[in-house]
Amino acid sequence: MEAPAPEAGAPPVISPLPRVHRGWRVFIFLTSAVLLTGVVAMLFADLLWRTGWSGSRTFLLVLFVILFLLAAIGCMTAIFGFVLRRLGDRRRITGLGDYRNQDISAASTAIIFPVYNESATRVCENLRATYESLERTGQGDRFDFFILSDSTNPDSWAEEEHRWCQLVRDLHALGRIYYRRRIHNTGKKSGNVSDFLKTWGRRYRYFVCCDADSVMRGDTLVDLVKLMEAHPPVGLIQTVPALINSESLFGRIQQFSNRLYAPIFITGLNFWAQSFGNYWGHNAIIRTEPFMQYCDLPQLPGRKPFGGQILSHDFVEAALLLKENWQVWLAYDLEGSYEESPQGLIENAQRDRRWCQGNLQHTMVLFARGFRSTSRLHLLLGIFGYLASPLWLMFLLTYNWMRWVHERSGLSEISVRGFIMHVNPTVHALIIFIICMCVLMLPKVLALLDLAVDRKRRREYGGQVRATASAVLETVFSTLHAPLQMLWHTQFVVTSLLGMSVNWSAQKREADGTTWGYALQRHWGHTVIGLGWGGLVFWLDRAAFWWFVPVVTGMVASIPLSVWTSRSTLGARARNAGLFLTPEETAPPAEINGLRDRLTMLEIKGETATRPVHSGLAAIILDPYVNAIHVSLLREKRLNPAYAAALEQLGVGTPEVRSLAEKMLREGPQKMPVAETRLVLSDADVVVWLHRQAWLRPPEKLAAWWQPAIRRYAR
Amino acid sequence: MDLSLESALTPPGAPADPPGSLAGRPLDEWNAAYAKVESYFQALRMRNKVLVGHLVIQVLRRAMQRALTEPQVPATQLAAEEMDHLVTGWFAQVLQEPAAGSSQMLSTRGRMALFLADMPGKWQDQFLRPGPWPEEFVKAMRETYLDAGPDFQLAKMTPRPLDLGPIATLTSFGRVPYLKMVVGWALFALLLVILFQMTHR
Repeated sequence: MEAPAPEAGAPPVISPLPRVHRGWRVFIFLTSAVLLTGVVAMLFADLLWRTGWSGSRTFLLVLFVILFLLAAIGCMTAIFGFVLRRLGDRRRITGLGDYRNQDISAASTAIIFPVYNESATRVCENLRATYESLERTGQGDRFDFFILSDSTNPDSWAEEEHRWCQLVRDLHALGRIYYRRRIHNTGKKSGNVSDFLKTWGRRYRYFVCCDADSVMRGDTLVDLVKLMEAHPPVGLIQTVPALINSESLFGRIQQFSNRLYAPIFITGLNFWAQSFGNYWGHNAIIRTEPFMQYCDLPQLPGRKPFGGQILSHDFVEAALLLKENWQVWLAYDLEGSYEESPQGLIENAQRDRRWCQGNLQHTMVLFARGFRSTSRLHLLLGIFGYLASPLWLMFLLTYNWMRWVHERSGLSEISVRGFIMHVNPTVHALIIFIICMCVLMLPKVLALLDLAVDRKRRREYGGQVRATASAVLETVFSTLHAPLQMLWHTQFVVTSLLGMSVNWSAQKREADGTTWGYALQRHWGHTVIGLGWGGLVFWLDRAAFWWFVPVVTGMVASIPLSVWTSRSTLGARARNAGLFLTPEETAPPAEINGLRDRLTMLEIKGETATRPVHSGLAAIILDPYVNAIHVSLLREKRLNPAYAAALEQLGVGTPEVRSLAEKMLREGPQKMPVAETRLVLSDADVVVWLHRQAWLRPPEKLAAWWQPAIRRYAR
Repeated sequence: MDLSLESALTPPGAPADPPGSLAGRPLDEWNAAYAKVESYFQALRMRNKVLVGHLVIQVLRRAMQRALTEPQVPATQLAAEEMDHLVTGWFAQVLQEPAAGSSQMLSTRGRMALFLADMPGKWQDQFLRPGPWPEEFVKAMRETYLDAGPDFQLAKMTPRPLDLGPIATLTSFGRVPYLKMVVGWALFALLLVILFQMTHR
């Protein structure tokens, strides 16, 4: 299973690859977007000119050009994707040669699951689904699995260890599924992966990076390894994960749009990216050696938000591989790669908050010497994914400003005849609006057309009528959601640029979604802005008000929208009505079916329920098995010199830790800061001592907190 | 056959206890000790009440023997200590390890082996029972070690310096691969501006 390894610690020899030049595809693609933007920008400029030119009009035009260009790029991606899907695309990684007969017996692959305080039950069940699927291919022994924990919460730590051990026992997978927790989570996820590579990377020719919510089919994993073996210059292959397991209405809408629209978008993306693709951080296979040599990320100079550690590491890692002439491909037609998505508007925004800061930071590396132009394009599109929101807000505000100035001037509206279109200004504006709508809606229409000509896919989406109805409803929802995204993203961009952090209190969810109180806390600002803005526009320009109705409706209705779309009951009702169906719902693969069954069973047993605070700590100290697992793992950790040094640096083995442990017994863990708890739980000898003391001592020598914890075992 | 609780618990040769006490301690004290020992066996996922009851009695008998000579030690503590000795001693026999010297290591390894051999699911009746034990059980106990990771193959990863200098890039703009294409677009944009200017005077 081990790949022949070079001398320990020595960098492996990698022959430099020839520099491949980009072809005509980027030119054709981007030029078509620029041409479309140019024509529509002319129409818009003509409209603005009809009532006299001004500085604010120049600003409005610039904003329009940027925003329309972004929309045009999206539209062109969909058009190119649609055409290629209909005509057949041979320039894709799976079509570049016969890889299916490739022998992978000499290839060793690690499948890694970096986790950070996520539900250990979910992680282990996702891993189990992937593991079992891989075993069914008969190629399972070519792969090892690693849960790479960066968890800082002692309860998550305990839960992970216990669940991992149970999983290993249940699957008879000792020596196949491993667990490692870092002592310090330096460098976050990229540091976590880097630590794995420094410790075990040389054992594996490839590694597949998964997220905590990733599931991958066994045959897909085998195909990925075969593709890597068949194409030695390829450094990374990214799959396109399908969203699964959504229950809430919001989650199901996202899941549906991801599954319906992604095929044409990704085919279009592959058209211009080709071997200069991108990495999305998970569900991708990576050639270990070049990654180890070229992708350890440097610290960026300066202070936050742009300096320091690179937060969104994936784009930069792909750029670094491309810089060294390794190929990065999107295996967009490889099915069997899955992930989960946020189940509510607020959770979605929380995730966006993290991504926004990371993407904005990419400005620093946008002009890095040696990066390929396609990498810069990926980075730029990522940056504008968030920057577009404040630009859109500015566009709307500038328009309002122009109306305000006009109203205050007391002048009447006199317009001259347009140069390009000889129609009245209202019709002129309407034509531009219709073009903009076409550019925004065409991808959805093309996705539905693409579905219409594929009988099997049509059935998987519940039929053409239901899919079309779902797409219409999805469009209505997106229209209401977009203004909220605009406000949120603007807030994130501004706070990120100012180096501020946004305080998100813990999500208050009930069994069936977001609570009204939490929604009010998060959305009251949006509601007030929507009411104020709507009123202002109504007062300024009643005719323009109706154009603003979709924008302000989303804001005003944000609280009920957030609560209702987070409801799984509404998600189930939509499913029963045949709305937002996806292939994984109508014809789920065995892996997803099995995963759902197990999760339902665990839910019935109460094993997925949120546990009380300190329950993990109580398990480590009181539960004879969890304690033994924890201590065994701590002892094994000492074998790694880097971890042994880190433990020593932490203070493990000093008398102070024993004093803290005594305090824990006498005063209870609730009296101790988390850092002290972590320190105590990092000392194997102290944890063994705590186990004995907690069970040996009479009640009067223990804090009252321990009594109910001990009684919980007496069933 | 004498099935009374007292005969099961009272160590042989012990003096008769006054009413309300056992081995010189009040019954409540032994009740608390019973609960503690029972909790520990239940924490080991022993679910069979008969087996648990039998083992608790076994532990309490040993604790009561000590109670006569160590009157200052609480009954709960005596019972917990005896349970610890009993379990660790049994681990030493099953795992063929010396009982003395490294009882902490032995206890951890023993509990780990119980978990991996799935004692609660398959071998509850063998727990704390004197040998010989079924071969499969012994094998499962002795041969299962927790393996959290394969052998280390340590390596170094060093970040390569990244020249971020946008100015440097801008000064070498002539080498930008898409220069011609970008210039083409710029000319196209300029043409639009000129057209607009000319037609909107």
